[in-house]
Amino acid sequence: MKNRIIFIIALVAVLALSSYAFARGQGQNGPNAQAASGQASIPFPPGWKPCPRCQNNEDRRQDTIKYKVPGHAFDPHDLTGVWGYDGIGRAFSKPPEFTPLGKQQHEATFGEKTPDGSPTYSKDTSGRGPGSKINCDPMGWPRLYTYNYGFEFITLPDRVIQFFEMTHTFRTIWTDGRKLPEDPPEPRWLGWNVGRWEGNIFVVESNGYDERSWLDASRPADGGWTHSPDMRVVERYRRVDYSTLESEVTVIDPKTYKQPWATQKAVTKLVPGAEIGEEFCVPSDYSSFNDDYSTISGSKKK
Amino acid sequence: MKIWRRSTGSLLALVLAFALLGSVALAHHGRAGYSNEISTVKGTVTEVQWKNPHVFIAFDVKDDKGNVVHWLAELSSPATMLAAGMSRTTLKSGDEIVIKGKAGLESAPFTLVDSITKDGKAIVGDPNAEGRFVNSTR
Repeated sequence: MKNRIIFIIALVAVLALSSYAFARGQGQNGPNAQAASGQASIPFPPGWKPCPRCQNNEDRRQDTIKYKVPGHAFDPHDLTGVWGYDGIGRAFSKPPEFTPLGKQQHEATFGEKTPDGSPTYSKDTSGRGPGSKINCDPMGWPRLYTYNYGFEFITLPDRVIQFFEMTHTFRTIWTDGRKLPEDPPEPRWLGWNVGRWEGNIFVVESNGYDERSWLDASRPADGGWTHSPDMRVVERYRRVDYSTLESEVTVIDPKTYKQPWATQKAVTKLVPGAEIGEEFCVPSDYSSFNDDYSTISGSKKK
Repeated sequence: MKIWRRSTGSLLALVLAFALLGSVALAHHGRAGYSNEISTVKGTVTEVQWKNPHVFIAFDVKDDKGNVVHWLAELSSPATMLAAGMSRTTLKSGDEIVIKGKAGLESAPFTLVDSITKDGKAIVGDPNAEGRFVNSTR
């Protein structure tokens, strides 16, 4: 009996630590890579700040001191700032039960296999999954958030603008009291967005999505997580302190999933010494990369 | 005791499963075509392709018979490379470099970079910390 108890405690500890390490790995992979280089980052010209991912952990540590982050005053109703250098990757990993239509759509996302039988993302519409050809289609929402290179909130009297380093794009979240359209006249990759404050939580609701996007990069063996044009998304942001932003995303799409699909609460840190750069998806670059990858992976005979 | 042994086995299997899950998670655009062994190759830079999503370096290597073989080295995104200490002008055509990396399968002339050294100085990664850079880059 005692051994069983020890085993259960050990099992819970291992699972908890593994999940934590996995989540950290998703969120910190890029910065770890930079720190792992062992070299100082490339300095930017005086007065200019590097992009969120152009910094390494030592740069961020120094900026924490330079910008007096600990204990810094903040307005919980002002999300202005450059946040994070990675998204909430793999936020959508375990879907709710599919509807029959959702199941059918999901099964159509499985792509070709490599010669050794490994599944690829050849049907990924934005082509950013492992083994896919990248065609620079927009990533859509919430996928852009799950895999971003940092974003910036800019607060205006009637709207909040959210700029994204990844693919160098933006969305407008209207805060002037307008309602979501019941029947949006055209689908949008990043949706039709309105925002409001509920206490210290900034709630963003959206609809009118282009159904070609997936919810997340997912994994080739899992297929892609699709959505219908009727998908609604609810996001909740809370600035806990000057440098910490919590967020949760819930996808509500009864045509595809039988229950709402909510992510776990994610934490994104302020990057005070960074400014948004130009992480464009350049078709000619990506075409060249596709050729390189195709050659290296052996999927194209030379 | 038997339960404990069985439980220990289950625990090890779970740890292994999570370790594998972690390694899968590191894959971004795919790592098919590269071996897991890190090898060293010396060559001369012919082109730095500073492009998204990943930077590539083309370089020439002389094989055992003195023939020139065109190689391709894959790094990470331009943003990540800036953070890692490399810009588009760090290396230029004609530079003699030593690259450690995960080589292409079946001796294919590709390498997924773990470190680059020029004139005995590390440019990217740490040649003495094998696997550290390449295993945390995507």
